[in-house]
Amino acid sequence: MAEIVYHSDFVCVEQGTPSSLVRFLGSWTIDNAQAIDEVMDATVDAVDCGAVLDCTGISDLDTTGAVLIRRFASNIDDAGAAVLTGVSSEHKGLLDVISCRPPPAATEPEQLPWYIGPVVEVGEAFLRAVASIARLLGFLGLLLTRLFGTLLAPGRIRLVPMIHQVEVIGVNAMGIVGLITFLIGAVMVNQGAIQLAKFGADVFVIDLLGITLLREMAVLLTAIIIAGRSGSAFAAQIGSMRLNEEIDAMRTLGMNPIDVLVLPRLLAMMICLPLLTFYADVMGMAGGVMMAWVQLDIAPANFLVYFHDNVSFDHFLVGMIKAPFFAAIIASGGCYQGLRVSGSADVLGARTTKSVVQSIFLVIVLDALFGVFFTSVGL
Amino acid sequence: MDGSLSDLNTIIKVRGLVNSFGDHVVHDGLDLDVKRGEILGVVGGSGSGKSVLLRSIIGLRKPQAGTIEINGYDQSTMTNDQMQAARREWGVLFQDGALFSALTVAQNIKVPLREYFHMSADLMDDLARSKVTMAGLPLDAACKFPADLSGGMRKRAALARALALDPEILFLDEPTAGLDPIGAAAFDGLIKDLTKSLGITVFLVTHDLDTLYRVCDRVAVLGDKKLLIVAPLEDVTKFDHPWVQEYFGGPRGRAAASLGSGPPKDC
Repeated sequence: MAEIVYHSDFVCVEQGTPSSLVRFLGSWTIDNAQAIDEVMDATVDAVDCGAVLDCTGISDLDTTGAVLIRRFASNIDDAGAAVLTGVSSEHKGLLDVISCRPPPAATEPEQLPWYIGPVVEVGEAFLRAVASIARLLGFLGLLLTRLFGTLLAPGRIRLVPMIHQVEVIGVNAMGIVGLITFLIGAVMVNQGAIQLAKFGADVFVIDLLGITLLREMAVLLTAIIIAGRSGSAFAAQIGSMRLNEEIDAMRTLGMNPIDVLVLPRLLAMMICLPLLTFYADVMGMAGGVMMAWVQLDIAPANFLVYFHDNVSFDHFLVGMIKAPFFAAIIASGGCYQGLRVSGSADVLGARTTKSVVQSIFLVIVLDALFGVFFTSVGL
Repeated sequence: MDGSLSDLNTIIKVRGLVNSFGDHVVHDGLDLDVKRGEILGVVGGSGSGKSVLLRSIIGLRKPQAGTIEINGYDQSTMTNDQMQAARREWGVLFQDGALFSALTVAQNIKVPLREYFHMSADLMDDLARSKVTMAGLPLDAACKFPADLSGGMRKRAALARALALDPEILFLDEPTAGLDPIGAAAFDGLIKDLTKSLGITVFLVTHDLDTLYRVCDRVAVLGDKKLLIVAPLEDVTKFDHPWVQEYFGGPRGRAAASLGSGPPKDC
């Protein structure tokens, strides 16, 4: 009688000469996979050198069980020889499918060690940022050449899509732009008046509102709203067309995607953003007028007279001059990211996000440069 | 006793299925039995409701009327827990694979394993690799993302995921659509060999005549909002119905038949 050296629900090891007998028992299916896997080490320990693996006790077997048998066999093989016996005919096919032991191969994407990862990431991010700004500039150049080309051949401008874009970018955005600038105008007067009242100078809140709103706030807020609203839409629309190979189809039909998709959007954006900025100026002022009336008891007529006398027209001009530049950045950024989409819908989402982040970043950088410029030329 | 015996052999039982989209009726009282261990091919013209039937059976679409029994359980009266347990017994291969694009092939295969079991990482790796090789993919595909694979490899990876839980029933939606003839033939062979050695029941929706001839034990033809016939292929080709005759008697049907009856190609 052979001595039983190890016993569990699924495995029984009998000591024998010259090799041990390992009997597999019960149901070797995926439901018991973890339990079976846990007794593997103990089984391998109980086997001295080689072993005969007896499968006659197995009631059910699936591919997971077959993989487990192969794992047992190869682990025992490392200690000595392992021989498989007693495989029933119905399980034979299964074991044949699984028989060969796949060499170890990575199943996860490669990962760098934790101490190098961040450094590499920072470096790569910097290089990517430089390259992406360079490519964006290249794209702007391409747009400009196409745009000046249309001056010689005005027929290339697609009027109907452009007007459609004007509606989508401009008219449909009036609600949100108007509401936000109205509220900002009101809040600026409200907060400004409280601070200025400490100096007894609360009437200067009108100067404050005029300068900040006309010079900076109206155009910046509008640009940011439109970047989030329309810049992202450009990236998503053009990107999904890229995924669908519509852009390639367009090229084969002899249409230039820059002319067909990008220029109408760019021109529409350059028309809409200045108009929206003017509208934002008006709505912001309206908010300020209302708040001054309610809080400071300055009648609208008095407000406007004071405003007319004290706030220079230059401030309005400074704001308006910036609008078309911001428009060009937002439209080209959105379209550029859309055209760069390739592969999967994942990329589309990432590119859309990137278009918004990049546009807003560039708008604010450009605004700062404009600020320095206008101050130095004395506007 | 005959009734209970046939129940044992029937794994999917559809009775009086009605599906409609608004006024457009797709199925009107459709009955279908799928026998345990067989490979059933479902064919029909475009818009005859093959995919709707598949989606109804796997519970992605609630039919307007009718009962669907899988393994003797009526799908409409099951609790969520029973449903969850039942779905473990199915593997579904969608037309474009429907692999999770943010995960590698191996991680895709591990998703169902993680969802249903707690296994050691080592065992899960081993299982994932085994399924990858089982589906006929090279091992270095395991750590690739679905977007980096060709159409045929994506299908194989999706098949590996569908087989991850050792299902009893495998649902295949147009398994060879979009593959080149060589890839399609190889995939047909893979399906046939695997399902026979694993003893899986296969419900296969297809347009591909070669697949019907090479893989399927029985063929079900959908048409006129019903099931026209379910029978072995030889009987179906003799069935007297204009669509069936045109389908199998057309130039492509005849070509597939002459190939299918010839010596099986090695793949």
